[in-house]
Amino acid sequence: MAVQELELKPSVPSSPLLGFWNVFRKNRMAVLGLFMLLIIIVLAVFADILAPYDPRSYEDIQSSDVYQPPSAEHWFGTDDAGKDVLSGFMYGARISLIVGFFAAFISIFIGGVIGIVAGFFGGKIETFLMRFTDLMLVIPDLPLIVVIVALTKPSLLNIIFVIGLLGWTTTARVVRSQTLAVKSRKFVLRAKALGAGNWHIIWHHILPLVMPILVVNAVLVISLAILNESTLSFIGLGDPTAISWGQMLNFAFGRGAMSVGAWWALVAPGFGIVWVVLALTLLGNGLEQALNPRLESHHLMPGRQTVQKEAGEFSPAPDFYRRDAPLLLDVQNLSVHYVNNGNVAKAVQNVSFKLHEGELLGLVGESGCGKTTLMMALLRLLPSAGEIASGHVYFAGRDLMALSEEEMADVRWSGISIIFQGAMNALNPVRTVGDQIKEAILKHIPEFPPRALEDRVVELLDLVGIAAEHKDHFPHQYSGGMRQRAMIAMALSCNPQIVIADEPTTALDVMIQAQILELLDELRKKLGLAIIFVTHDLGVVAEMCDTVLVMYGGVTAEYADVDTIYNAPRHPYTQELLKAFPDLSKLERRLSSIPGYPPKLDALPPGCRFAPRCPLAFERCTREMPALHVLAKNHVVSCHLVEQP
Amino acid sequence: MSRYRLLLKKIGWSVFTILFVLILNFFLFRVLPGDPARAGVKDPRLKKEAVEAIRVRFGLDKPVINCFDSLNPIKIGNCAINPFDTQFFIYLRNLAQGELGISFHTNRPVAEILVERLWNTILLIGAGQILSILVGIALGVIAAWKARTAIDYGALITGLVTWSLPTFWLGIILLFWGSSHGFPVGGKATIGTSSFPFLYQVGDVVRHMILPTLTYTIVYMGEYLLIMRSSLLDVLAEDYILTAKAKGLSAFQILKDHALKNAMLPIVTIIAINLGFTVAGAIQIEAVFSWPGLGGAIYEAVVRRDYPVLQGAFLLIAVSVIIANLIADLTYSYLDPRVQAE
Amino acid sequence: MKIRYTLVVLLTIGALLLSACGGLGQAQPVVLRIGWPGSPDTLNPGVAVLAESYTIFELVYDTMYDLQLDGSFKLNLAESVSVSDDHLVYTYKIRDDVKFHDGQPLTAEDVVFSYLLYQNTEGYPWMGDYTYYFEKIEATDNNEVVITLSEPIPNIDAQLVFLYVLPKHIWENEDPVEFENLAMIGSGPFKMVEYKQNEFVHLAKNEDYFGTVPKVDEVIFQTFENQDALVQAIKTGQVDMITEMPNTAVTSLREDPNIEVVTGAPFSPSVTDIIFNQVSPENCPPEDGVCSGHPALRDRNVRLALAHATDKQKIIDVVLLGLGTPGTTLLPDGLGIWYNTEIKDYEYDVAKANQILDDAGYLDADGDGTRDMPDGSRPLIFRLNWPSDSIDAPRMAELLSEMWGQVGVKLEAQAMDPDALTSVCCPAFDFDVIIWGWASDPDPNLLLSVMTTDEIPTGSSETGYSNPRYDELFRQQASELDLEKRRQIVWEMQRIVHEDVVYIIPFYPQNVQAYRKDRFTGWILDQPKVELSDVTSLVVVEPVR
Repeated sequence: MAVQELELKPSVPSSPLLGFWNVFRKNRMAVLGLFMLLIIIVLAVFADILAPYDPRSYEDIQSSDVYQPPSAEHWFGTDDAGKDVLSGFMYGARISLIVGFFAAFISIFIGGVIGIVAGFFGGKIETFLMRFTDLMLVIPDLPLIVVIVALTKPSLLNIIFVIGLLGWTTTARVVRSQTLAVKSRKFVLRAKALGAGNWHIIWHHILPLVMPILVVNAVLVISLAILNESTLSFIGLGDPTAISWGQMLNFAFGRGAMSVGAWWALVAPGFGIVWVVLALTLLGNGLEQALNPRLESHHLMPGRQTVQKEAGEFSPAPDFYRRDAPLLLDVQNLSVHYVNNGNVAKAVQNVSFKLHEGELLGLVGESGCGKTTLMMALLRLLPSAGEIASGHVYFAGRDLMALSEEEMADVRWSGISIIFQGAMNALNPVRTVGDQIKEAILKHIPEFPPRALEDRVVELLDLVGIAAEHKDHFPHQYSGGMRQRAMIAMALSCNPQIVIADEPTTALDVMIQAQILELLDELRKKLGLAIIFVTHDLGVVAEMCDTVLVMYGGVTAEYADVDTIYNAPRHPYTQELLKAFPDLSKLERRLSSIPGYPPKLDALPPGCRFAPRCPLAFERCTREMPALHVLAKNHVVSCHLVEQP
Repeated sequence: MSRYRLLLKKIGWSVFTILFVLILNFFLFRVLPGDPARAGVKDPRLKKEAVEAIRVRFGLDKPVINCFDSLNPIKIGNCAINPFDTQFFIYLRNLAQGELGISFHTNRPVAEILVERLWNTILLIGAGQILSILVGIALGVIAAWKARTAIDYGALITGLVTWSLPTFWLGIILLFWGSSHGFPVGGKATIGTSSFPFLYQVGDVVRHMILPTLTYTIVYMGEYLLIMRSSLLDVLAEDYILTAKAKGLSAFQILKDHALKNAMLPIVTIIAINLGFTVAGAIQIEAVFSWPGLGGAIYEAVVRRDYPVLQGAFLLIAVSVIIANLIADLTYSYLDPRVQAE
Repeated sequence: MKIRYTLVVLLTIGALLLSACGGLGQAQPVVLRIGWPGSPDTLNPGVAVLAESYTIFELVYDTMYDLQLDGSFKLNLAESVSVSDDHLVYTYKIRDDVKFHDGQPLTAEDVVFSYLLYQNTEGYPWMGDYTYYFEKIEATDNNEVVITLSEPIPNIDAQLVFLYVLPKHIWENEDPVEFENLAMIGSGPFKMVEYKQNEFVHLAKNEDYFGTVPKVDEVIFQTFENQDALVQAIKTGQVDMITEMPNTAVTSLREDPNIEVVTGAPFSPSVTDIIFNQVSPENCPPEDGVCSGHPALRDRNVRLALAHATDKQKIIDVVLLGLGTPGTTLLPDGLGIWYNTEIKDYEYDVAKANQILDDAGYLDADGDGTRDMPDGSRPLIFRLNWPSDSIDAPRMAELLSEMWGQVGVKLEAQAMDPDALTSVCCPAFDFDVIIWGWASDPDPNLLLSVMTTDEIPTGSSETGYSNPRYDELFRQQASELDLEKRRQIVWEMQRIVHEDVVYIIPFYPQNVQAYRKDRFTGWILDQPKVELSDVTSLVVVEPVR
């Protein structure tokens, strides 16, 4: 969805590692996890120096030393053999970590090899390997580990091997899908075309890209291995000569700590396990976040939408369309900001326009120019980072920006409805289309007679040319065009006065595009709707629209009726857009596209936003932002050029 | 039509997996070092003749499979024997009759022991699963809904910490605490109350179940919480949620009618996969709380080297997990209309 | 008919409901609750192994002799016994007032049936030993059993003490090995009410018992999977007595005013031993022997030095918290008169141990801290193994590593699965040192046999020790009918094996039990051995008023 494209993306880092660190470092949980892990590693590595006692020595130990509570000599008390729990804890960390790391290494190695081989070679090898993986996945691993260890010698090495040999399944799956994704990348294909050997490609091209995922997975596998080892030790299958935390618990539990009330002997080693596993989990989550940044935001999070913090300069909106038609929507000085970690991106600034009954307004601009944001702001559907910094939206005499959330919910759909771009995902996949239409009707007209409801759905679908029998089908049973039309039917279901169509045809093929556009135009005439048509396709605009608002970098570039835009555009951006649009009447004109990209919203140029790409820019443009000039009653432009004679 | 084929394919795969487990189960206990006959002897210092008598009793004197007296691949044995008189065939035939052999330790049929204990485990796991699913999902939904608030972070940390808890350790700690607060310290019921009124007995079992169920709930809740949260976060970021909001639905309506069902789909799979881990948890919990269930049986069998019980329990668990997976698969395809079409 | 049947059911349900509701208000039966960490492995006496099974058998069945807590035997089912002059024919006169729990009388027929069953059932692996010398067993009349032996033996009482008399009318119809015997019809002071393996054994008193009728109405043994749970259970009053507990809990339980902790030699003699592989090449079992033991262990000097380097008291302190007695030979102090009290144990003296090794030529030639063989061929590094199901052994292993390290002996410690341990132990002799233990009969014969040359190939001998004089004495004691003379031989045998340091016996563990003083009284505590769950205690305890 276009709204999300506007979200801030991290700026491109100088080196991938540094960039990774920069993202990682911001994840407080991951840093905490790393820190926690480092503490334990230090304790384990330097146990010889740090531990106050040697846990193997029985010198000076008497039976009265057994299970002594924490004291100045023994901070964590003593255990069932009268030894210092703190020292045991440090040495135990060593064993637990050794088992965790080595077992995980084995798992990662096997899982990595199976995953890469399956993903890279495909075919029968893949089927065989993945079936085998599935097989191993359904066999409960702890009982299997228990059985195998029970049947073999309980030495540390054995335990490491058994845990390692059985822990690879998830790794294999993750690695395989990553390999599949990497395999079809260009440089891999190129290496292949150049005749590089399979192993060369795997080693030099696939592995480096699979590595990060492998590392994330490794962290989680380590924690599982540590948990498994402690469980094994606890049920008496550990190696009693290597005192891990699990072993300490086994001794304490088996030798009466509970009945003596020696909680310290039980708490300390368990705490160690929780500490390490938690550290690894936090770290793993953090690494994953850093690799695959996920927006932890969604559509139900409360926004900060109505912060009227800027007075806003007055920007005129011409009121030129058929004076006889009543005014439906009056947008005044609307500004929208995205606030993210203290950075403010001015996505829409001071935009004003008006919409009358029956009017079709085209909203034009490249993607990233704030068109969708503007529409979302109207309906107050901005993501949680978005806030309306200033402005008013008058609809039916009320300022939408001042309504409560409940009042706003009533306006949506019954007053203003919206057709999203890419209706592919705009319909809920697990509910039938008819059901989703009914839901909208019942929300706004609860008293709608139930018997008439079915008829209404059929009627609406019929209106957009969908046969009645499709009403009980699920969205995935529809073709792309049908889905878009179903979306339109849904948008019309509550008889709205305004329909916003946000690039409703982008994802569709040309024939269907034409059908849909025709349909919209037809409906407008039949139902007297006002439509805001968001598009980057000037052809569509020329054919259907009454008025056109061209946006660039979040501000109005030019706003006029359709004839003016086509025949006398004054803004260089409009002119450039027109050049990029194939005009069938002037075939000799060369098609050109505008070099460069729209500005990043968090790094706007100081002067005119189009200046860096403008062929006509002069010094003032880079310094001073042009004001919105009213050229005629029906024409506004923001460009310094119009001041010149 | 395609739906039935899908169904058949899935069932076929499960059957294949079960067969694999059957064979693995047989050979696992024979290929690994440690003589099962020795284990059957119980007292390892028994005389040779007595050992031989026990081998005969447990059928361990027969060749493992044609050509192999033992699983030593170098030692080719007699191939010209009746294939029906091998341990492998007898194992399969007994299985077909629902027999899992005789426990070395208790001299009772393993199947009988396991069935008796299966119900206790189902009771414990059932209560624990239901509670952990309910609590985990509820907290996960709240966390996702209130994403990036103190509630969310609180729930997230709770989830991560409980996920990191070793089951047996939590059990020990709760037992430690509970034993000094009037909770029973183990078992399923107070003995000698079998003549008491029915309601009293039910209450008694419930009292015994509180601590183990609590352990179970806390340990598994975290995972459900984390998965539900991330699943719901994904769903709530979907376009159709925005559509629903644009339609004017309230947040609660959206959650109820559009988000939950979709977000629950991955949970169904996780619950099934979890059943495998669940058993792992049951071993630990039942060992700590002396709960007379399957996990306890495995624990005892490990301690006493009662291989027939271990073998039977492993088989039972593996088969249950496979079947649970199948059910989850089928439930998934029932819940998600998209699967049916494929 | 049908109607009447329904009526009966209704009446029964009604009665049950009434009794259920009213049951709590009426006089409650006196129930003694015992907590224990195990459960019988089976109720079939022919195949049972675990001590828990035998505890129940002792309560529910009768035998010809009872074993007293002082280690002596007393006639039980028989009123009298007469022995022929050649000591080959024993004639027992069976009491005529003995009834099985189902009302059938117990007769000589039942006794003979039981003994023959034990003797002839091939699937009874342990019973063959007890009936080995019985040539003929017959009932000459309803009350008379005549046992004819193949050779005179000194201890027929010890042979008969575990041969429980079973009701012929039930067992003759059952497969003797597979029979689960859940109803468990016996003739003892208690009868079986209900049994759930690993959960509980519920017994009730036998009102018609010919001996002492128990004072309590019911006894329930409840299984707790671990010893901590047991301790909690007695603290909270969930049980009235516990048969075991961790030694670490003794101190805290002693502080509880309502709980009495008792310790003493266990009913079933038990010993923890350190086994040295000392089998000589000529004694190596031809079929199964690997005989990979360290040659130094065949030298008495080395074993003697290790004995001086072993601080038994410290082991007892750390591992048992003091609740054990230092051991001398394989025969524990719990064996009563058979235990040689005159042996003076090797004192803990590291200097002396070092001196012995120095004198014998085991010097640290290469200066790596570990002594070497006199010819320098290999260092004194021993493999040390123990069964992985022992929770105490790892602690002992740590202690031994440290203690023996002080005399330049190094240990490679490794726990082993009990089965794997058996397969390296005997008769393979593929080990150096093992920590293990024995629990045995009241008669010393079995433990003495373990050290004879004859048992090396059978797997019973763990050390491979071979001494013709000892073998000769073993044969003598086995047929010596005079108790005092036999005792002297047994004592001499102990002196020999102690002299030769065949084993190092770190300790004989004590039984540690506890009961609630506020609940029941009358426990038998004045005997040499301590066993609160013994039938002698359970028939006399009564509630505290």
